[in-house]
Amino acid sequence: MEPVIETQGLKHVYIDADNNQVTALDGIGMQIQPGEFVAVIGANGSGKSTLARHFNALLLPTEGSVKVHGLDTLDENNLWRIRQDTGMVFQNPDNQIVAAIVEEDVAFGPENIGVPTEELKKRVEDALRAVDMLDYREHAPHLLSGGQKQRVAIAGTLALGSKCIVLDEPTAMLDPKGRKEILNTMKKLNREQHITVVYITHFMTEALLADRVIVMSKGKIEFQGTPKEVFSRVDELEKLGLEAPLAAKVAFELRKSGAKLPPGIITNEELAAALA
Amino acid sequence: MLDITLGQYYPGNSFIHRLDPRTKILSTLLLIIAVFLANTAVGYAALCAMVLFIILISGLPFMLVLKSVKPLLFIIVLTLVLHVVMGQGEHVLYQWKFIRVTEEGLRLGVQMAMRLILLLMISSILTFTTSPIVLTDGIEALLSPFRVIGVPAHELAMMMTIALRFIPTLMEETDRIIKAQTARGADFSGGNLLVRAKNMLPILVPLFISAFRRADDLAVAMEARCYRGGEGRTRMHQLAYRSGDVMAFVFAFAMIGLLAFLRWGPKLV
Repeated sequence: MEPVIETQGLKHVYIDADNNQVTALDGIGMQIQPGEFVAVIGANGSGKSTLARHFNALLLPTEGSVKVHGLDTLDENNLWRIRQDTGMVFQNPDNQIVAAIVEEDVAFGPENIGVPTEELKKRVEDALRAVDMLDYREHAPHLLSGGQKQRVAIAGTLALGSKCIVLDEPTAMLDPKGRKEILNTMKKLNREQHITVVYITHFMTEALLADRVIVMSKGKIEFQGTPKEVFSRVDELEKLGLEAPLAAKVAFELRKSGAKLPPGIITNEELAAALA
Repeated sequence: MLDITLGQYYPGNSFIHRLDPRTKILSTLLLIIAVFLANTAVGYAALCAMVLFIILISGLPFMLVLKSVKPLLFIIVLTLVLHVVMGQGEHVLYQWKFIRVTEEGLRLGVQMAMRLILLLMISSILTFTTSPIVLTDGIEALLSPFRVIGVPAHELAMMMTIALRFIPTLMEETDRIIKAQTARGADFSGGNLLVRAKNMLPILVPLFISAFRRADDLAVAMEARCYRGGEGRTRMHQLAYRSGDVMAFVFAFAMIGLLAFLRWGPKLV
């Protein structure tokens, strides 16, 4: 199958405020398959947000290429097609809601691409139902909780018809309840509607639920694999400034002091079962 | 602070509330013309009756609409007093030194005051019965024919929409900044006007910085959602004239007709 997102030797260089050349991405080659749930983790400044913006053609490669659904982001004719196919949810829930009513905001995307009124109403309703926000369709966004606002933003991408959603630290500004809401919503969309999810986060516990975890550092992909593979490498993660989930760390330390534990312990439940 | 309502929308589901916003804006303009046509007691009586009638069917509390006169009460009273004491004309009713009250002056003063009161009440009925969001849609639709002569109808409407969306957010933010600065010992209540204005700086600077950051974020988010101006956009809620709108227009034109007749028509009495 054709990958949803494919990058080859992707390099992104920009000039910062002090006139220095900064290489935010340095030769990224990756593929994301349809229906995959991929988590991207990395310390601050590792380039993960920059990478996300390449998937939506908000940034363009300095070198190399990004193909979204087989379309090159460097070709300006593909721009709007790419942005429809790949929706984007940003970190700050307040700063991405345009309209003063929830359903008007969800309609903003499809309105932009000229979806006829009748279909538009259906799309908005379906999108709000998918994120479980239909009851709030006529609410004012500023009265919603952070998690609800982010779900409205997700509905906005669904209404646009996105088959792939890129979320750039969507839970960084949320409370634990909101964080859970977003993660559950994305898992559900991934499972039931086969939406491809690229989930950028610095919460390791969120990455546990992904099919694949990509670890980034200094603009490069350091290593990747299933959550079990990635989070078992506790010491390597620590060197990159990342903290493995507590269970993985405990198992790692226990093993170091001679305990015989099965490999691949990353959740509390697995640790409890192994220790019982 | 969280529960601020923008503008002065008074929610309801009356005949007036349900009218198309374009109808309401245009009818308001027509009725304002009617007010300017009035020059007889009968005319003003008819206009007052009309305003009362509209308030009645809109389900707005009468006092609420009357209160909309308050901000301009001073000007209304001043107009009245000036016209009365500086009266021109020959039918002098009372004279004391330079103060001269004439029948003509009294008549003109009352007329001007009535005119202002009616204008305020009519236009506030529009904002009482139309939510700012719907009003924005109406303005966009009415301005869009003028796009050919360069009126940025869509851009204006977009700006209003975003302003409506972000005013509550920025109010919350202001609240937070005030609290943060108060916790650091800032004093916002004391001093004269100049001191107080100066004290506002620690609020305004962070507020502006954050507003610019938000604007930047929002622009990126809008672009990510395929925003490229008003060209080729569709709308989820399309405005549509219904039979009630026709009735409203007939009514508004009838008022203009009536007042034009009272002004220029054959004198009945």
